[in-house]
Amino acid sequence: MQLEYFLLLAAALFCIGIYGLITSRNAVRVLMSIELLLNAVNLNLMAFSNYLDSTAIKGQIFTVFVITVAAAEAAVGLAIVLAIYRNRDTVDMEQFNLLKW
Amino acid sequence: MTQYLLDTVWLVPLYALLGGIMALPWSPGIIRRTGPRPAGYVNLVMTLLAFLHSSLALGIIWDEPAKKVVIPWLSTAGLNLAIELEISAISVAALVMVSGLNFLAQIYAVGYMEMDWGWGRFFSLLGLFEAGLCALALCDNLFFSYVVLEILTLGTYLLVGLWFSQPLVVTGARDAFLTKRVGDLFLLMGVLGIYPLAGTWNYSDLEAWAASSPSVNPFIISLVCFGLIAGPMGKCAQFPLHLWLDEAMEGPIPSTILRNSVVVASGAWVLIKLQPVFSLSPIASSVMVGIGAVTAVGASLIAIAQIDVKRCLSYSVSAYLGLVFIAVGTQQDEAALLLVLSNALSAGLLVMAVGGIVWNSITQNVTQLGGLWTRRPISGISYLVGAAGLIGLPPLAGFWAMLELGSNLWSTQPALVGVLIVVNGLTAFSLMREFCLIWGGKPKQMSERSPEVSWQMTLPMVIALGFVLHAPIILNNVHLLPSWVNLNQDVALLLIWSSIFGGSISAVIYLSDFIHKPIRLPLQPLQNLLAYDFYTPKLYKMSIVLGVDLLSRFADMLDRFVVDGIVNLVGLISIGGGEGLKYSNTGQTQFYALTVLMGVSLLGAIVTWQFWGDSFLDLMSGSVSMISMK
Repeated sequence: MQLEYFLLLAAALFCIGIYGLITSRNAVRVLMSIELLLNAVNLNLMAFSNYLDSTAIKGQIFTVFVITVAAAEAAVGLAIVLAIYRNRDTVDMEQFNLLKW
Repeated sequence: MTQYLLDTVWLVPLYALLGGIMALPWSPGIIRRTGPRPAGYVNLVMTLLAFLHSSLALGIIWDEPAKKVVIPWLSTAGLNLAIELEISAISVAALVMVSGLNFLAQIYAVGYMEMDWGWGRFFSLLGLFEAGLCALALCDNLFFSYVVLEILTLGTYLLVGLWFSQPLVVTGARDAFLTKRVGDLFLLMGVLGIYPLAGTWNYSDLEAWAASSPSVNPFIISLVCFGLIAGPMGKCAQFPLHLWLDEAMEGPIPSTILRNSVVVASGAWVLIKLQPVFSLSPIASSVMVGIGAVTAVGASLIAIAQIDVKRCLSYSVSAYLGLVFIAVGTQQDEAALLLVLSNALSAGLLVMAVGGIVWNSITQNVTQLGGLWTRRPISGISYLVGAAGLIGLPPLAGFWAMLELGSNLWSTQPALVGVLIVVNGLTAFSLMREFCLIWGGKPKQMSERSPEVSWQMTLPMVIALGFVLHAPIILNNVHLLPSWVNLNQDVALLLIWSSIFGGSISAVIYLSDFIHKPIRLPLQPLQNLLAYDFYTPKLYKMSIVLGVDLLSRFADMLDRFVVDGIVNLVGLISIGGGEGLKYSNTGQTQFYALTVLMGVSLLGAIVTWQFWGDSFLDLMSGSVSMISMK
């Protein structure tokens, strides 16, 4: 087991998250993709903490913060989605293109 | 006192200029109440002053050597422009002639312009002309001669365009200005081209330079000489720059007197003064002779086919200045000066005589005139004497001028003697034709009741008549006539015979009833060709005017569409860019996320570009070996 594999896995997860972030039409699925991104970051932080900083494990502290903030962010995100849904009766991302040119 | 008069003879042009300026207040817009006549009287007084001054000075300087007067004008680094004047017998004599003829023309104008309110403008322009011509006569410097010639060109434009409410006057003035201007511009090229060669613009220095047979490239000196010929060519209404004189006949007759006699001679004056330079280039001399010969023959043929009496005379003037060109081209200054003198006196008299007819008979069309001899004897006699003075009839000055030219050419260039004889015969024919059509035959409707004109027009006519008659005596007394023994009697006989033949054939044709009038030539196209002066307006329109017109239209289009278009295109592209690129703001948050990602990855790629080569390959091979090791 090496650091690179964790990093590669995290990068793959990040890419999958990006793909979902950009291509999903459902707003909730966009939020889910963001969670994937944050988890990929958490994986990175944990891997670095384990292999490079196994005594002070600052990465794990970061991870805890990221999870906390991600939870808060998901809550606010879902609230925003709900607010939009109440106005426009849809969560289709392609309908939310009012602020163009 | 007498010496003082001679020393101040350079003031003569200023008198005329002052007269011209003093005439201006009587323009109808300034002095509104008293009418324009004082303008003419003031000018007459100033011209008389100029005439008396120059006449007295002429008497003093006659046996004295020429004097130089230098008035500094402008001195800059490497160039010293001074107004150099030459006060010699010949230049003062030219002053006398110019101011004398202008005095006569102005008295004539007092009568002729009776019913006109534009005296202020007319007389101030006559004053300007007199000043310019006097300055030209005194001027001993090619550069200032050019300056004066240009001022005279502007003066011609204004004077021909006096009655600018007539459309033909406006086009005539335009052509007169542009044609002469083109010639003057070529002259400027010559003037500028000769300075590096000779290092001077002073005529006598130029003569000395030319006499020292400098080693200049014959090609260059020929080009310079062509430039110097082109100026007088336009001024003297020589082919192909002759149309302006025809159209300048739209101007008032008193100014025509001046123009036909002296203004066209201003070009010849410069030409004569530059004759030593022309002798450096045999090609230029033969070109000058060619132009002169073609003009002389062509214009005298055209003069026969005109029905407008002023235009008949203007083409005769072109023909005579063609003879002057021949004289200068064959290095005969004396003959050229005699020709200019005799032409000035006779042409002035002819225009005066004819102008009187036009004044009372309204029409200028010779085919509508006739039978005036019994009622208009003074004008008739004046015309006859003027005609006799112009063509080669023995006692008068024209004969001596042509005889001197002919006998000098007799042994060297007999063909030119032939031209001279032909031109003389044709001019005799055309002048006699006009006489027979106006004064001979039966009265026609337009000339049924035609009284003799008033004394203001008759007096200058008779004085000019006296001058023409006395010219040979005066010339003989001052030993200017060529002595009879040196001249070729054959040429004299030929000249006399050609005059008699031309005149009498014309008289027989036009006074007898054998031939039906109006005369039709068997070859109608030929008659039209001559009557429309070789279709020169069409030639101009088809060549130069068309070319310049097309080029200007093209340049205008180029400016409007290409140059302007390129600049507008920049703005248009900016607008188009903004209009097109705003669609990158799609309003889709996900698209923005994509652009952010692409920006970051691009930046990352650029930053890490340096590691992409070997180290990237190493990384790959390292991982491959790592995998293979497992």
